[in-house]
Amino acid sequence: MCDHCMKHGAGGKWYLNAKSYSEEVAARYDLRAFLAEQYRNFEQISVRKVAGFSPVGHDHLFRMPIIGRIVRRTAERMLHSTRPPRNPFRPEGHIGQVVPLEDAVAILQTCAAEPIIEKNCMCRYMTRGEKEACCINFGVMSEIIDKLPRFIPEKEKYHLSRAEAVRRFTEHNQKGYIGTIWYGPYPYINNLCSCKSPECAGIRPRMDFGIMSIHKAEYVADMHQGLCRGCLQCVERCPFRAIEVDRGTGRPAVDQEKCYGCGVCRHACDTRALFLVPRSERPALAGRY
Amino acid sequence: MTDVSGKTRIRIDYSLCGDGRGVDPRGCCICLRTCEPAVFLLHQTVGALQPDPFDPQIWRVTALWQSLCTGCMKCAELCPQTAISVRYSR
Repeated sequence: MCDHCMKHGAGGKWYLNAKSYSEEVAARYDLRAFLAEQYRNFEQISVRKVAGFSPVGHDHLFRMPIIGRIVRRTAERMLHSTRPPRNPFRPEGHIGQVVPLEDAVAILQTCAAEPIIEKNCMCRYMTRGEKEACCINFGVMSEIIDKLPRFIPEKEKYHLSRAEAVRRFTEHNQKGYIGTIWYGPYPYINNLCSCKSPECAGIRPRMDFGIMSIHKAEYVADMHQGLCRGCLQCVERCPFRAIEVDRGTGRPAVDQEKCYGCGVCRHACDTRALFLVPRSERPALAGRY
Repeated sequence: MTDVSGKTRIRIDYSLCGDGRGVDPRGCCICLRTCEPAVFLLHQTVGALQPDPFDPQIWRVTALWQSLCTGCMKCAELCPQTAISVRYSR
């Protein structure tokens, strides 16, 4: 548990606090106008100039030794901003965390603001041109998506009850999509996504460029070695490549340094050998998100 | 083609792809789907190269994350308009 959860969380987790989902917060920061503008132009945010500088074809700068550190820190400052959002063309205060199925269900049942909808994943639309309904939105975001036809699923019903949202999220999680919860922007929580890497615009900065755009979950995966039959399904399933085959035994082993705690590996295991433990219970990993 | 001195450059000829001839890239998206590290981005037009202010009607494909390109050349091979050229360097 870090300072942020101490300040914002109920039960030690920032995302389990119904206040962050409330109309009161949305109204205080005038988020209706801000989010409408942001999501009308969502796909172009990553190609817009920042301080007169076009990011297209300059992503190698993130990997350079000294310049990279400056560019990464600038990006992090914007993402972690706690000031009232000003520019809808920049992802200010847009920070997220991986959540396993249990916590996502708790969010949907107790915290999420009505109306709840499921929209087409924006990241997959802009990186693959595909429309796949798997992103659950709450409150003000739902009202905005109603006015943006490209994100409204054609076939499925998209206004969901809490029970339907839980069922849909469970289906996505079992398929291997990573559950993530997002501030959009701080301190309002409105997105519960089922992400896929490398398409996800929030996971990519951390995975490919080392920018803290998303935090690891409050959990980490572990394994009952005795139950494992060595089918290696979990190795394929892990979106972060944190489960590796041990060369000596031929059995999978969880690399807890790499594990993000999303818990999707559990769905691939027939014998329930994989399970999650709270990160705080592992001294080497506690506080490292 | 490999180039030892520079960095990877992916160019898209917009007279062939996208709005140049009234072609909407949203109907094709072959490059987006074949690219394993998802280098390409589909977006509304913006910025110096493109008509600004924002026009929600005109969409375009941009090779955004060029440093992640693996040089597999599938996008250049599969593009029906042969609009993509890749100069790969590692």
